[in-house]
Amino acid sequence: MTNMAEDLKAEAPFAKAGLAPAEGRRRTPGTGTRGSGQRKRSTRERKARTTDTVIYAVLAVLVVALMVPFIWMVSSSLKENNQVLTVPIQWIPSEFVWSNYTDIWTRIPMMGYLQNSLYLAVIITCLQVLTGSLAAYGFSKVRFPGRDVLFLAYIGTIAVPWQAYMVPQYIMMQNLGLTNSFNALILLQAFGAFGVFLMRQYYMTIPDELCEAARIDGLSEYGIWARVILPLSKPALASLALLTFVNTWNDYMGPFIYLTSNRLWTVQLGLRSFVGQFDAEYAMIMTGSVISVIPILVIFLLGQRYFIQGIATSGMKG
Amino acid sequence: MTTKTLPPVAPAASRGNRKQARRNTLIGWTFILPNFLGFLAFTLIPVLAAFALSFMEWTSFTAPKWVGLANFQRMLASDTFWVALRNTVAYALGHVPLTMALALLLAMLLNRKLKGIGFFRVAIFFPYITSLVAVAVVWNMLFSPDSGPINQFLHSIGIAEAPGWTSSSDWAMPAVIITSVWRDMGYYMVLYLAGLQAIPNELYEAAEVDGASAWQRFWNVTIPSLRPTTFFVVVMLTVSSFKVFDLIVVMTNGGPGRSTTVLSQLIYQEGIGEGKFGYSSAISLVLFLIVLTVTVLQFKIQQRRER
Amino acid sequence: MKRTTLAAIALAVTAGLGLTGCAGAAGPAEPQGQDGKTRLTVSVWNYEGTPEFKALFDAYEAANPKVDIEPVDILADDYPQKVTTMLAGGDTTDVLTMKNVIDYSRYANNGQLQEINSVVDKVGKDNLAGSDAFDINGKYFAAPYRQDFWLLYYNKDLFKAAGIDDPKDLTWEKYTELAKKLSTEAGGKKVYGTYHHIWRSTVQAIAAAQNHADQNSGDYSFMKDQYNTTLDLQKSGATLDFGTAKSQKTSYRTMFESGQAAMMPMGTWYIAGILQAKKDGKTNVNWGLAPLPQKDSNGEVSTFGSPTAFAVNKNASHSDEAKKFIEWAAGEEGAKAISKIGVVPALQNDAITAEYFKLDGMPTDELSKKAFTPDETALEMPVSDKSAATDKVLNQEHDLIMVGERSVTDGLAEMGKRVKSEVLGQ
Repeated sequence: MTNMAEDLKAEAPFAKAGLAPAEGRRRTPGTGTRGSGQRKRSTRERKARTTDTVIYAVLAVLVVALMVPFIWMVSSSLKENNQVLTVPIQWIPSEFVWSNYTDIWTRIPMMGYLQNSLYLAVIITCLQVLTGSLAAYGFSKVRFPGRDVLFLAYIGTIAVPWQAYMVPQYIMMQNLGLTNSFNALILLQAFGAFGVFLMRQYYMTIPDELCEAARIDGLSEYGIWARVILPLSKPALASLALLTFVNTWNDYMGPFIYLTSNRLWTVQLGLRSFVGQFDAEYAMIMTGSVISVIPILVIFLLGQRYFIQGIATSGMKG
Repeated sequence: MTTKTLPPVAPAASRGNRKQARRNTLIGWTFILPNFLGFLAFTLIPVLAAFALSFMEWTSFTAPKWVGLANFQRMLASDTFWVALRNTVAYALGHVPLTMALALLLAMLLNRKLKGIGFFRVAIFFPYITSLVAVAVVWNMLFSPDSGPINQFLHSIGIAEAPGWTSSSDWAMPAVIITSVWRDMGYYMVLYLAGLQAIPNELYEAAEVDGASAWQRFWNVTIPSLRPTTFFVVVMLTVSSFKVFDLIVVMTNGGPGRSTTVLSQLIYQEGIGEGKFGYSSAISLVLFLIVLTVTVLQFKIQQRRER
Repeated sequence: MKRTTLAAIALAVTAGLGLTGCAGAAGPAEPQGQDGKTRLTVSVWNYEGTPEFKALFDAYEAANPKVDIEPVDILADDYPQKVTTMLAGGDTTDVLTMKNVIDYSRYANNGQLQEINSVVDKVGKDNLAGSDAFDINGKYFAAPYRQDFWLLYYNKDLFKAAGIDDPKDLTWEKYTELAKKLSTEAGGKKVYGTYHHIWRSTVQAIAAAQNHADQNSGDYSFMKDQYNTTLDLQKSGATLDFGTAKSQKTSYRTMFESGQAAMMPMGTWYIAGILQAKKDGKTNVNWGLAPLPQKDSNGEVSTFGSPTAFAVNKNASHSDEAKKFIEWAAGEEGAKAISKIGVVPALQNDAITAEYFKLDGMPTDELSKKAFTPDETALEMPVSDKSAATDKVLNQEHDLIMVGERSVTDGLAEMGKRVKSEVLGQ
């Protein structure tokens, strides 16, 4: 399935950027005479190693700066509620309340909420990726009148804050009998413009010559989409899936407005149920937040493997 | 817009051309349709309904009443609207370039094969998935005027009059911008990471052979090749900056005073908070027009660059 | 090959989730109206965390076996927004709980609620604290069942340690003096004499109540003394400063329950919370109640409060049943049911107050009892269609005065100017 794409890609000219392909010279480091090649490589390796060290150092500092609030979240999840929001901040709990992590499952139906969130996030992500990448092909690789105006309408709606049209939308959904169900949220969020826009921009970076060559080979447009474009856009698909998943998973307002029955609630709603009229149980909220981050981490670690430089050209034989 | 795009099949005679065009339209629409149907029904129509409401008075309980431009007149006369608009623009001007630059920098830094790179990528994405309450509490503590580490650092390097950050009208917005850049850069880094994958290694290798320095490679290969991604990032960043809501609500709730009140907060309060849906729709129409203008401008610039 | 397997697994997982997900995983399925019972729906916030609802519903169901009450549970944070959206969609929930009088006035003035004068008359509006708030030109669209008002919580141990008598007949002047005396710093642990939460009502509603002033008037000079008192406390370190409290989202419960504040003006809703915390062993604070400090020392106690009420939705599916429920809940039976769990009912008489002080863990000294019978309870915010907009302006300007960006005089002048131009349209 992917071979086709890679072969085609290999044939694609790279002269676009005005750089000569320099076929012969490019192979030198691998196949040149042994002596000079090795010397070159060792200096290069040393240089690479120092760069790596520097990068590690920079990253380590960054990580600390980025994780501080998360550390506070974890620390708070291990405190009694009236110890969370103290002045000054207490970073290490005076007494570790591990029971928060067992209590939360009985205080609220956490398992059910997790299942609901997962269900919504998976379905919405799948639909968004599928319809988004299809539509993006139409917007980037097929030319037809009215295309650009339609595309601008797509982008335009992203600019309208949801707060502005949520009530008209709700009334419409109510008339369709769709409120208080997962279907309402799926229909609302799966067909957003975000995925179309993201995928279209990525497809623009794929040379049209590839599609052209495939057409000459007799592939239909759908075939080109499925067998040439999709395999080449794995990094974009991964980032779209990841971001859609995270946004759906962390969404609060959408589920709040559309899901009334407690049995349909998502994790984010469940956690907010610890907020009362006059005060809130922040220890429990932080415990739940830590738990709800775990699925995102799994998805991220799976998805980020597609972000490795050179994957797009790994099949290069030239 | 894509001047590079060739028509799918080489054009023949003019009659064939027209037939080809019709075929293309059909094919194009079959690709777009699955998404478009959902988009039309559940997003576009409600959005248009909201725009229509901006010329009406509607409390959501009774039938809407046509009032012409009254909502817009009220808006232009409202001091709070102008304050919120100014704050929103200030936020966008700070948030967009900073987030973009840092996201790109991080993506370049993390776009390599290193041991444990997955861990670092996750770490940079962490701020985006950390509970907003935790973000607000910790950053507010860091920004604390007297005892916060940030001001203590500023004092130590000899700045006597350190800013009051979130408890001062002048510095609350910069504080919010810093926090939001910190929070969002991981998100946009993911997009840039994907964009970087599309640049063929051969381009870099060829540039290296031609003797280009790292900086020249960045400038002549990376930046041009990333242009579609950058367009996407800029548009999404602009849009999300103009719509910023959650972070501000949790961090400063628009205060002190009105110093961090933004347009979407106004839309929310006036609309569903007070039941003035016509007025809130009018504000969102203006917000939409501003963002659309910015987007179309960027679109044109992008097109010109590609020619 | 591998990729297809992965895809297949993903599909299977999705399908599996679809089945369980649609069946509704998080709890029992929607109860159906069984064996001829009427199913009455009531909108509530934070059902688990607000025990008064369950107490009322259980007691009512026990008294009326033919009725099944089904709470429509809505998160407390954005309760009015959700109710507004639901009503816009033509929702048929029978009873709507009015979280505050501002929302009440909006729903009532827009014809979203049914008039229930008959219910209010039967319960007797003179017995119902806060019922005036719901009078719109002689018509009642809701009946209060709960009435919270403000008093002073204090830490008896800290008072004893400082050798100070219980805070009796306090004026604001004396209160400030006490607060400064009670502030200590020992072993790195700071104890504040008092804690004022960041809500604007801790200054503004108190000033309005004790000066008989109107917060919608556009003239706010009456708040001057109260602001000066509060800022003085803050400056002297007798209370946590506003900027810190706001940005750190300081919890007033933490301040009081951990003994970091010796006094705290707060609403009666906290009684139930503190009783629970003591019962669960989460705090050992030895607490008492006192009347709110006063402007004058003439012995009259005036405070402010906010009633919570039930109303009947215009589109209710069971209007008559809904009215019957409200009559019960606002009346004697309902009042007893909620006083048992430490919630202050709107219906006030000696029997109910006596019942209330029988609660386990309740302080029983005379001062605490006196705190419970203020001479006058003003409304936190007047019922008016202007209140929501005024509230916003007052909040913003309150911020600026409290962080010290505006002087009291300038801040109050700006407040008046903005309310006049933005709200009153002058």
